[in-house]
Amino acid sequence: MTRSLGRRTPLVLALVALAALVATAVAAARANAPSAPAIRNGGTLTIGLAEEPDALDPTLARTFVGRMVFLATCEKLYDLDSHLNIVPQLAASLPTVSKDKLTYTIKLRSGIKFNDGTPFNAAAVKESLERDLTLKGSVRASEISPIKSVSTQGSNTVVLHLSSPYSPLTAQLADRSGMVMSPKALAAEGTNFAQHPVCVGPFMFKDRVAGDHITLVKSPYYYAKNKVHFASIVYKIMTDPSARTQALKAGDIQVEDRIQATDVPSIQKDKNFQTIKSVTIGYQGLTLNIGNKSGVGKPYSNVGTPIAKSRDVRAAFEDALDRTTINKVVFGGLNQPGCFPIAPSSAWFSAVTKGLPCNLHANDAAAKQLIKASGIPTPITVHLLLGGTDPVNARLGQVIQAMEKQVGINVSIEATDFTTSLNRGTSGQFDTYAVGWSGRVDPDGNIYSFVATPGTLNYSGYSNPRLDYILNGARKSLTTKSRDTLYHAALQVISTDKPLIYLYYPVDYFGVSKKVTGVQAYGDGLIRAQFAGYVK
Amino acid sequence: MGGFLLRKAGAALVVVFCASVLVFVGVRALPGDPAIALSGESNDPAVLAAVRHEYGLDRPLPVQYAKWVWRALQGNLGLDDRRLPVAHTIVSRIPISLELALLSVLVGMVIGIPAGVIAAVRRGKPSDHAATTFALVGLSLPHFWLGLLMIIVFAVDLHWLPSGGYVSFGAHPISNLEHMAMPAIVLGTGLSAVLMRQMRSSMLTSLGADYVRTARAKGLSEWSVVCKHAFRNSLITVTTVVGLQLGALISGVVITEVIFVIPGFGHLTIDAITARDYTTIQGVVLVTATGYVLVNLLVDVVYSLLNPRIRVSGGSA
Repeated sequence: MTRSLGRRTPLVLALVALAALVATAVAAARANAPSAPAIRNGGTLTIGLAEEPDALDPTLARTFVGRMVFLATCEKLYDLDSHLNIVPQLAASLPTVSKDKLTYTIKLRSGIKFNDGTPFNAAAVKESLERDLTLKGSVRASEISPIKSVSTQGSNTVVLHLSSPYSPLTAQLADRSGMVMSPKALAAEGTNFAQHPVCVGPFMFKDRVAGDHITLVKSPYYYAKNKVHFASIVYKIMTDPSARTQALKAGDIQVEDRIQATDVPSIQKDKNFQTIKSVTIGYQGLTLNIGNKSGVGKPYSNVGTPIAKSRDVRAAFEDALDRTTINKVVFGGLNQPGCFPIAPSSAWFSAVTKGLPCNLHANDAAAKQLIKASGIPTPITVHLLLGGTDPVNARLGQVIQAMEKQVGINVSIEATDFTTSLNRGTSGQFDTYAVGWSGRVDPDGNIYSFVATPGTLNYSGYSNPRLDYILNGARKSLTTKSRDTLYHAALQVISTDKPLIYLYYPVDYFGVSKKVTGVQAYGDGLIRAQFAGYVK
Repeated sequence: MGGFLLRKAGAALVVVFCASVLVFVGVRALPGDPAIALSGESNDPAVLAAVRHEYGLDRPLPVQYAKWVWRALQGNLGLDDRRLPVAHTIVSRIPISLELALLSVLVGMVIGIPAGVIAAVRRGKPSDHAATTFALVGLSLPHFWLGLLMIIVFAVDLHWLPSGGYVSFGAHPISNLEHMAMPAIVLGTGLSAVLMRQMRSSMLTSLGADYVRTARAKGLSEWSVVCKHAFRNSLITVTTVVGLQLGALISGVVITEVIFVIPGFGHLTIDAITARDYTTIQGVVLVTATGYVLVNLLVDVVYSLLNPRIRVSGGSA
């Protein structure tokens, strides 16, 4: 034993010396690395929002921008990390799913309080989910409709009983469906909960002046209040993008929501500000009306236009589009061209789109051949519906028009306000419609509603039983690998039939004063400032 | 007098009724289904149906109208798409636009009236040409352009004033005035040009009048002739113009409110129309129409008190 130890002594000494060297090197590296700036507590952060949130009630909320406010005041069972993976927030862990995929058991964190001081527990989660499912006008009901009933096991476990397997459920619980409202506040406010919302969150609701601002103040009840630095956050409604940028430059706001493309360079050049770039999980594209004669949800049959009748014409239309040029000319190169409903920022992108073709440049020769093969005489007239009368939309329409002209397609532009365009999209009054989607974490949220026969946003009126079968299978399948395979197959079908032509992934730019540190923006396009603070 | 008042009040009621019907039908004639606009990103038929039901859009128009009027008579203009009471929102916005309009008039008067007097007294001289040029420029400058220019100079470059927003006078008087300075100057510049031209014209008429010549013949100083005689008489016309301009300003501050992010009545109107927020649009137009009718009624009553012949001619008409 002693001899053995004696033999090993030089080796042990060498290892100790090596460890000491490594430790010294790491310490030196840490000392030289730029450290995160120290944060001081207190102060008010003012964020200039591009739109006004609607009702601050998780059950009734419909707008994208409302989710930015909820981030600071209404936590969810699950959240997203910076790579858009689902991680527990108010839940203690990811749900345990039964073998038949019909029961989800969710363990909750303990010792948490709502912002009115009442305890957060399984009963509160049950009440919120049941409200989401049953309240008249609930926008959440359809998102979690497979939930048949909710039960509790003790005060820290919730069990969801499903009527059919539904793999996007956890992702839904990482959005507004997973927000838990204070039962005391629900009892007091009822359907007027939006006027005084109370959830679990680093900040609590103080006041709201319609059309002007929403004020949140630091919560004394928050379980991690040491991580919260601002005393309050004010969300100023500033719908005019130029006014927003000027307010940032003047120091009236410290964070600017979605800088318009033309203002990005001036903010980037200014040493007082930094821009945070976020490739969103949404997309922008063109919806091609194939079978929407009398409205979404009504029986679909071919509308009879050249672009609806001929798959070759649809393919030619896509071949004529140069996505790189569109991005450069219309958006100053600030967005990211692409061909799929799933963005590169999504954790699903690589596996699902692997091997699928994506031409970022036009191929006019191929487009002309396809038109010739279709047998339809040129020029082919195609109406393009634009959901906005602003200069950017106008430019997009004109660039597409010029590109299509090269291959014998005569694009007639119809620009209208967004609401009217949605109405026309729903009722099928268009040939092609330039419209996008803000995106969801689960691929189902970016695909099913738009191309499945029962999809509520199926403006194209596209119906393909094979695709429906694949997408329904992906909803029921729980393993990532099998879902990868199914969505890959779904994209192949979409790419062949082209009910939609995906053009680019919007890249959001947020302007942030350098006096503030810790502001983040993930691929979901939301500003995360709840744990930020002023630099000391 | 009682009969006169009753007739006027009856006419006012008819006008308000007509306005309410017009706005009710008008907003429903706007293109686009409001339920789709209000349902945000969701196009779920169940959500759309719930939105239509909540806003009463699934009922016959006369039923919708009767329900709206009945609630409005009780001071309830409904909930907007943020689920906030519309009546409360409107009441909180009116003083903001009113304050902006009054401050703009003040700016307009402070600049326009002295400029008009100087231009008239020094007719044909460089100061007259300068004032006239100023008036022409003031009338020609678009509000949005001047507003953006001022923001860039005074807020972004010099950091003297906030770029926009609003703080109530009660909460912080100095901050309130700082926020209102630029928008009031933008609106006041246009008004000052109008007032300057009006003042110059009135002063020229007064300065050529017999009573001014008499005053001069009596040996009064030029200062006394201009300020005590000509100026005071010229103010009558200018005061009428200020009154008319104030009304126009209250309804015309929309663009300025948008540029300076002021949560006033005009901004509320624009936001409501953009969002197809029926309840707010209806509330805003109803309050505006009622306001105009009430002011007109008040003016009629005051006129009748000041000049009884108006009452009599009204009675015989």
